[in-house]
Amino acid sequence: MPKLKKPTILWLQSITCNGNTHSFFSHPDFVALMQKFEIIHHPILNTKYTLENVANENLTCDVLVLEGAFRQTGMKKANKEIYDIAQKYAKKAKHIITAGSCATFGGIFRQYDTKSIGGFCFDGELPNETYKLFKKKLISIPGCPAHPRWIGSVLSMILTHRQIPLDELHRPLEIYAYNAHVGCSRSEYYEWKIDVSRYGHKEGCLFYDHGCQAPFTHANCNKILWNEISSKTRVGTPCFGCTEPTFPKKNLWHTTTLMGIPASMPIGIPKRAYLTIAGIAKSFTIKRLNEPIIKYKK
Amino acid sequence: MKIKHFVEKVEGETELEFDFKNGIVNNVNIIFPFYRGIEEILKSRDALDALVITPRVCGICNHAHLIASTRAIENGLIDAGVNIHLTPKAISLREFTLCCEIIQSHFKWFYLVAMPQLANLNKLTISDNHILKASWVSINTVKALAIFAGQWPHSGYVVPGGVSCDPTYEEIIQAEALIDDIIRFTQQEFLGISIDEYYKTKEISNINGDMIEILNMLNNQNMQEKGKSYNRFLALGKHLVFKDGQYDQNIYGTAKIEYIKEHIQTGSKAKSVAYENKCYEVGPLARAILEKNDFIMDMHSKYQDSALTRVCARMDEIVKLLIYTKKLLANLNVKELSCTLPKFPKDLEANGTGIVEAARGSLIHQSIIKGGKIQNYNIITPTQWNLSNGIEKTSGIATKAMKGSINTEEATFIFRTFDVCSVCTTH
Amino acid sequence: MSQGGKRVQKKESIIQAALTLFSVYGFHKTTIPNIAKRIGMSSGNLYNYFPSKEILAQEIIKYTSEVLGEEIRKINQQKKLTTYKKIHKIVEVYFKMAIEKPEMIEYFLRVYLSHREVFVGECQRMVCVAGFITEIMIFFSDGVECGELRDQDFFSAFGLFMGYLGGMAFLNGEAILSRPLKEYTDDITQNIYNALKT
Ligand code: SF4
Ligand code: SF4
Repeated sequence: MPKLKKPTILWLQSITCNGNTHSFFSHPDFVALMQKFEIIHHPILNTKYTLENVANENLTCDVLVLEGAFRQTGMKKANKEIYDIAQKYAKKAKHIITAGSCATFGGIFRQYDTKSIGGFCFDGELPNETYKLFKKKLISIPGCPAHPRWIGSVLSMILTHRQIPLDELHRPLEIYAYNAHVGCSRSEYYEWKIDVSRYGHKEGCLFYDHGCQAPFTHANCNKILWNEISSKTRVGTPCFGCTEPTFPKKNLWHTTTLMGIPASMPIGIPKRAYLTIAGIAKSFTIKRLNEPIIKYKK
Repeated sequence: MKIKHFVEKVEGETELEFDFKNGIVNNVNIIFPFYRGIEEILKSRDALDALVITPRVCGICNHAHLIASTRAIENGLIDAGVNIHLTPKAISLREFTLCCEIIQSHFKWFYLVAMPQLANLNKLTISDNHILKASWVSINTVKALAIFAGQWPHSGYVVPGGVSCDPTYEEIIQAEALIDDIIRFTQQEFLGISIDEYYKTKEISNINGDMIEILNMLNNQNMQEKGKSYNRFLALGKHLVFKDGQYDQNIYGTAKIEYIKEHIQTGSKAKSVAYENKCYEVGPLARAILEKNDFIMDMHSKYQDSALTRVCARMDEIVKLLIYTKKLLANLNVKELSCTLPKFPKDLEANGTGIVEAARGSLIHQSIIKGGKIQNYNIITPTQWNLSNGIEKTSGIATKAMKGSINTEEATFIFRTFDVCSVCTTH
Repeated sequence: MSQGGKRVQKKESIIQAALTLFSVYGFHKTTIPNIAKRIGMSSGNLYNYFPSKEILAQEIIKYTSEVLGEEIRKINQQKKLTTYKKIHKIVEVYFKMAIEKPEMIEYFLRVYLSHREVFVGECQRMVCVAGFITEIMIFFSDGVECGELRDQDFFSAFGLFMGYLGGMAFLNGEAILSRPLKEYTDDITQNIYNALKT
């Protein structure tokens, strides 16, 4: 049997913190997964080609992974505009993955200059010119950073020719159809509308006062957990909505309210429906949910 | 003769402009070409937004940024008359997660930078095993961190007054088991000897495992003689496990932040930073010298601040921190409060500086807050200390260390012994 | 009329009778036989609809709140109305009720607020008035969202609005006001708007 050629992968960075590279490196099957590809270039692995080769030559590229925000001019690597390098390989690639919110929507680094910095195909939530060229092969994996499994699973789905249904921002539905609140260990407190009294308690929800954006953030962090073990909300930190084109919003540690009523509703829930349930839930004082769940002796 | 050399896989890229004279490096100019404007992005945002934005300076030392920005706010609060008192539990948790990040970063340096780069330099080929090891050890280290911090990279669990998590003993036991695994790995794979033996002899000749390969390759390149800089060290962060202070040619002193000054560098987007108008080295070697770690002091007396001493200090710090993290976990008392600040004051007016020892050295955050909003924010990263081009006519720490090198490859390796992080340098 | 329709109608007439008696004689002095007698029904039959006086009292408050909530909901759904106009309409609805069904307001003041011990269990705190409160919440948050109302704590705004209207209804009930209640609508709307606007 002839030996099948491995597909090639090229991981290219633009304006970034390298968070997605390090996040993906924490995937338990990182090495096994990468071995299924021929790596053209990668930011931290020793690769056959240098970035100068990538910039100046015309190498093969089946899967292009982009990390970091883009600007059309003013961001050179090896004397070439990184945007042009990305375009060159995007044309050849069969699949383009934007890993992280910067490459997808512009993310944190877009905030420096929203006019000229954006994602590769979206500026915030709006598709840009580049989008038209590549929409057929674009997969968005936003997140700040993207969860290792999001990147790993999409790469595996590509390898195994599986169907990847996407939402309108090109995020895979199998990952982003959930909201980040699903699976949170505080969800009982959410149901009964009991906010955490202050940071540092396992009891209480962070939605009403403490800025948690999970109910309206598309992500499955609390379902699959971070680093196999935890999540922001499980350790009492609010979800900052890092997978959304609006990330980073302002006042990240406070819930934006309108007359004390959360301004953003859980995905698809009308305000009237939410308030009806919330008002009723709030009317009851559930003893168990208003005291520490574990009692240690002094 | 001038040679431009593009260096990649340094948490981004950088350009070294070498000036060779008589076949050796006479001068080097380090160019970081891109600025991302994190400090600008922070302006007029809510004070606490800094805890989310600043970790995005760096994908590998984000946790140190989180703690530094929290400390800046806490010191600002103290300055504004708010009583901030951290419980031992909160202090220990912060120390623990910070140590995990440093351990992960150091291991990545050994397996992803030192191994392949030294192999190149020695014209040896190596298998992909080192990637597997780097990946295994970093996965487990950040997993232990994530038990308390929720995730890595880019956690947000450190808040003014403490931490946001409220761990149970059951969770602490998970973290202990992971640290035990990493200690086992360190003994079996990394050092090739037990930590007991390591501490008993404190001789690099006893070391085995992957470290022996690295040490041999360093030895082949005569790295005990190369990569020397000014022999001036600084550690500014206050921690239970590190000692802060200043060291200049065998004289110890206390470090004073008033003496720190940033300078703009022409041609590079990174600012340089100096202490009393002099360049100082920060990082594991500086920390070892300041705490008078006898093993590293001994090496230092033999080989000064050579590349070899610098690399050994990084290795030694891994061992030291692993032992320390176990102690922290063993003494954690879950009954103490995680966070003592009940409510963050509205319309805060505060000026504060927060300093943390990150993997690569002292990291400084300074914030000026008016009416609860950030008016000005300044970040000085460890790599700005080590990788500047110097001040006035004198060379910087790394540029001095590269002087006298015989070719660009060797000089670049010496450069890498500082554990270069491009993204931090130009935040 | 269907069986179910009849039952609803019966229920409503019981509520109506109880409302009147409760507001005139108070909660304790009103008995189930009194109520039954007023609509020509046997006490036994009434118990088929409401198993106790307490439950009846709770149902009344739920009913009142729903009626009022339904009216405000219609106002909230008119997205084109300015917040000022909405306030005006809410005041109108409230005063209309105070005039046409004074027993509802009376009931609220004399029974609901003074016999909290009756409104426990399934009628704790806001549960029975949820229909009304929800619509007021929507009115407030829409007002803040479109930039017309100042953002503040819900209850500080709610207290100002409802306390004011309740106070006027009370003064009207005591026949203290010098003009008919309706004629106060414009001024009161203006006052509420001024107090709550951005
Ligand atoms: S803290 Fe956030 S994720 Fe958890 S239950 Fe509350 S809203 Fe949901
Ligand atoms: S919990 Fe929210 S902020 Fe945290 S990683 Fe998930 S989507 Fe991002």
